[in-house]
Amino acid sequence: MPTFVLAINGHQHRIDTAPDMPLLWALRDLLGLTGTKYGCGMGVCGACTIHEDGDPVRSCQIPVANTAGKKYITIEGLSANGTHPCQKAWLEEDVSQCGYCQAGMIMEAVALIRRKPNPSDEDIDADLADHICRCGTYQRIRRAIQRAAHEGSKA
Amino acid sequence: MNSTRRIFLQTSALAATGLVIGIELRRPASSDKASVFRPNAYISITHDNIVRLWLTRSEMGQGVRTTLPMMLLEELEADWSQVQFEQAMPGGQFNGIRLRTSGSGSTVGTYDALRKAGATAREMLIAAAAEKWQVGASTCRARAATVTHLSTGRHFTYGELASAAARQKVPDNPPLKNPKDFRIIGTRVKRTDGLGIVTGHATYGLDVRVPGMLFAVMERCPSLGGKLVSFDATKALAVPGVRQVVPIKSGIATGVAVVADHTWAAMKGREALHVEWDLGPNQHFDSEAFLKEMEAATSRDGYFVRNDGDAIKALGTAAKTLEATYEFPFQAHAPVETMNCVADVRHDSCEIWAPTQCPEVAQEETAKTLGLPLDSVKVHITLLGGGFGRRLIADYVSEAVEVSRAAGKPVQMVWTRPDDMRCGFFHPCDIQHISGGLDASGRPIAWRQKSVGSDLSVVNFPSEEDKKSPRIYSDNELPWGSFDNPYNFAHLKANFVPLNSPVPTGPWRAVFYPPPVFARESFLDEMAHAVGQDPLEFRLRLLQPGDVLKIGSQEIDRSRLIRVLQVAAEKSGWQRPLAHTNDRLLGRGIACNVYAADCYIAQVAEVSIGRKSHDIRVHRIVCAADCGLVINPGGLEGQAESGITWGLSATLHGRIDFKNGAAVQSSFTDFEVIRMDEAPAIETYIVASDHSPGGFGETAVPPVAPAVANAIFAATGKRIRRLPITSDKLKVPASEFPVHTRRWLIPQ
Repeated sequence: MPTFVLAINGHQHRIDTAPDMPLLWALRDLLGLTGTKYGCGMGVCGACTIHEDGDPVRSCQIPVANTAGKKYITIEGLSANGTHPCQKAWLEEDVSQCGYCQAGMIMEAVALIRRKPNPSDEDIDADLADHICRCGTYQRIRRAIQRAAHEGSKA
Repeated sequence: MNSTRRIFLQTSALAATGLVIGIELRRPASSDKASVFRPNAYISITHDNIVRLWLTRSEMGQGVRTTLPMMLLEELEADWSQVQFEQAMPGGQFNGIRLRTSGSGSTVGTYDALRKAGATAREMLIAAAAEKWQVGASTCRARAATVTHLSTGRHFTYGELASAAARQKVPDNPPLKNPKDFRIIGTRVKRTDGLGIVTGHATYGLDVRVPGMLFAVMERCPSLGGKLVSFDATKALAVPGVRQVVPIKSGIATGVAVVADHTWAAMKGREALHVEWDLGPNQHFDSEAFLKEMEAATSRDGYFVRNDGDAIKALGTAAKTLEATYEFPFQAHAPVETMNCVADVRHDSCEIWAPTQCPEVAQEETAKTLGLPLDSVKVHITLLGGGFGRRLIADYVSEAVEVSRAAGKPVQMVWTRPDDMRCGFFHPCDIQHISGGLDASGRPIAWRQKSVGSDLSVVNFPSEEDKKSPRIYSDNELPWGSFDNPYNFAHLKANFVPLNSPVPTGPWRAVFYPPPVFARESFLDEMAHAVGQDPLEFRLRLLQPGDVLKIGSQEIDRSRLIRVLQVAAEKSGWQRPLAHTNDRLLGRGIACNVYAADCYIAQVAEVSIGRKSHDIRVHRIVCAADCGLVINPGGLEGQAESGITWGLSATLHGRIDFKNGAAVQSSFTDFEVIRMDEAPAIETYIVASDHSPGGFGETAVPPVAPAVANAIFAATGKRIRRLPITSDKLKVPASEFPVHTRRWLIPQ
C-alpha cells in the first residue's frame, strides 16, 4: 500500500492507502476529521467542501494520489474555536437546522468572501448553488454571508 | 466508563445564547448518590450545582434541543448557563416516556409534561429551602437556579439544596406559571447547539467512531421484493482493506454487505461483488403504468371517509359542475446525511448509535433479532442530518446489527447516495379526483373528493383484518386534508380508494397531507375562476360563519383559518395585482390548510414565467400561521422556511419513477431539490393566539404546491395538475390547455 503525506489544517499526516481513495474518506475514516461530510460522492451536493490552497474543492472528487504538495483546510481548521467571521455570522443569523450541510456551505462562503469581499446576491447564488440544504436554510445563509462580508469590510 | 467511547457535543460560551451545552450520548454509569436530586426522568441536580436536562426527542433540525429545554427551564427557574443536556435513550428512567419523534408532535407532546417536570423540581427545591430556614414556602422564591428567602435575602443554590430536595414529597399537581409571567417561552432563542455544527465537531450518525469499528456498505437487490440467490465474494475479498462479505436478510431490501477497514474499501469491495438475484415478482413494475391504473381506479368507490349531506344528488342538480384529476408522484426523502448506523453486538448485549426518529423501535427490533432482553440493548441517538420521516423506520439499524453480529465487531453500516435514493421507502404516489358543484348564483354547494393512494405499507397500516371494516379510514381520520376539509359545503363526500404498489411507502414530511391539499386548494381555485370570483374571497365565503367544525376527534376553528388567510393576503399585497413585464408573466396564488386541527396556515406565492423560455421562478412566498402559543418564534420561522423549501422542491422538481421494478433516480442530479439560486424570499407572519401550542415541523409543506400552481394559473391561464411543475408542461399554449381533464358535466 503506497504512503501519502497530506497537509491538513497545518499538520502533516502520513497515511497508507490505495491511491484512488477520495480525500473525503481519508479525512473521515483515517484521520478522524469527521467535520467534512459525505452527501453524494459525486461532487454535486457540496457537503464535503474543503479548501485546497485556498480554493473550495469537493473532497469526494480528489484521490489522495493528487494531493501532493497541496495544502488543505477543513472546517475543523477554519478557526481554533469557531471565531472565524463566517462561523460567527452563522451563529448570529441562527442558520443551522439539522446542520449537516453547513460545514460545506461555510467553506464555500469563506472562499467566496476571500475572492469577493462584498459579494452580490448573484455572486452568492452562483457559488452556493452547488450546495444542497434539505432543511431550506438558504435565506439565512444568504444573510450570514452578507453579515460576514460586512464585518470583514469593517475590520 | 471508557472515555474514548463517550461522544460529546460541546459548545462554549461563544454560542449565541452564551449557553454551555454538553450532550452526552451515553448515559452516565450509576450516579445515583444521595447528593443527586432526581425528581423525575427529565431533570437531575447534583451538589456541584450542575443541572442536567434530558432531551426526549431526536434533534433533526426542528430545534428540539432548544425548544424542549425552554419549556423545562421556564418552570424550573434555571438559566441556560447552569444547564447541561443529555439525550434520553429508551429504557431505564424513560420507560413509558415517548422518545419517538414524528407527526410535528415534539412540542405538542411534551409541553405539559416538561412544564410539570420543571415545576415539580422547583417546588421541591423551594420546600427544601423553606424547611432549612423553618419558614413558609410562600416566602421563598426560585430564580436562576437559586432559592431566596425574600424578606431576609438568604439564599441557597439548587446544588446546595439537592440532598434536601431529594427528601421532599413529590407534589402531584405543582402550580404552573401563568403564561403572562413566562420569561423564556415566547422569546427568541437561537440554536443551543449551533457552535458544534459550525466548527464541525457535532456528532451525526456517520461521525460516530468507536474503538475497533469496521465499515460496511451493502449491495441490495435491484428489483423491489427480489431475493438473493448466491454471491461470489472472491474478488471483493481481494480488495485491500476488505475483511468479510455477509448476506443480509433484514431491512427493506435483502442483499450482501461488504465489511472493511474503511468506507472506501467497502465501496470498492462492493463493486467487485458478483451477485445472482431472483428479481422476483415486481421486476416489471413501472410507475407510469401504475399511475394510469390509479387514475382508472377513480371510478371505484373504495371506502367512504366523510359524508355530509348528499353530495352526489347535489352534484346532479347543480347549475355548474366541474371535475379534475391531480397527480402527486412518488417522492424520496433524500436527507443529505444518508442512512447509517453503528452497531456493536456482544454475546449478551448490544449497543447502537443511530440517527433515528424511532429509538424505541430500534431497541425492540434489535432485541428481537438477537434474542436479547430489551434492557440489554442500548440505543444512543446521535444528531440527525435530516429526518423528514425517513428515520421513522429502523431498517438500517437492523442491517447494522446483522453485520456486526457476523463480524463480531462494531460496524458502521453506510448507505451511499444511490442506496438512499433507491432502496429505502417513499412517499406514495397519489391520484385525487374532485368534482364540485355551484348553484346558479355561483355559490359552491357540493364537493366530492376521491383519493386513490397507497396505504403506508412500511408501517403496516392497515392490516388485512382492519380492512374488513368500511370505517377503517374514516375512523383513522384519513386521508388528512380530505377527511378534515375545513370548508363549509352543505354537501361533501370524501372517499379513499387504496391501491397498493410493490413500492415500500411510509411517512414523508407532512405524511398524508400534501396530495389531498394540493388537489383541494387547486380545485377551489378552479371553482373560483369558473365563476369569476377572487380565490381569496371564494375561500373566505366558504369558511363562513367562522364557526368550529367538529369532525371525528378534531375541532377546526374556521375563524383561525380566516384570520391567517387575511393576514397572508394583506402582507403579500394580494389586492394589488402584479404587472407582467416584457419577458415574463407574473402572478400570485393562495392556498391554506389546517394541520391536525391545531395549526392554521395560509401562503401566497409570487411567481413569474418566461414568456418564451417558460422557465418558472418562485420569487416570494408569504406565510401566515396561527399555531397557538409559540415557544420560540425564531424556531417557528425557521420551520416555515424549511417546510416551504421542502414543499417547493417537490412542486418544481421532485419525483421518483420506477422502471423494471427499480427506482430510476439515484442522486441529486436526477432528483433535484431547491438550491440557493432558486430559493424564494420567505416571509413568515405569526398570528398570535392563546391556544395551546401546535406542532409546526410539517405544517408549511402542504400549501406550497397549490399556492404555486394557482400563481402559475394566475400568470399564464395554464392549470398544472400533475407534479412536478416543470417548464415543459407550460409550453403547451393556454388555448389548448386543460380540455381533457376539465369539463362541464352538465352544460347549462
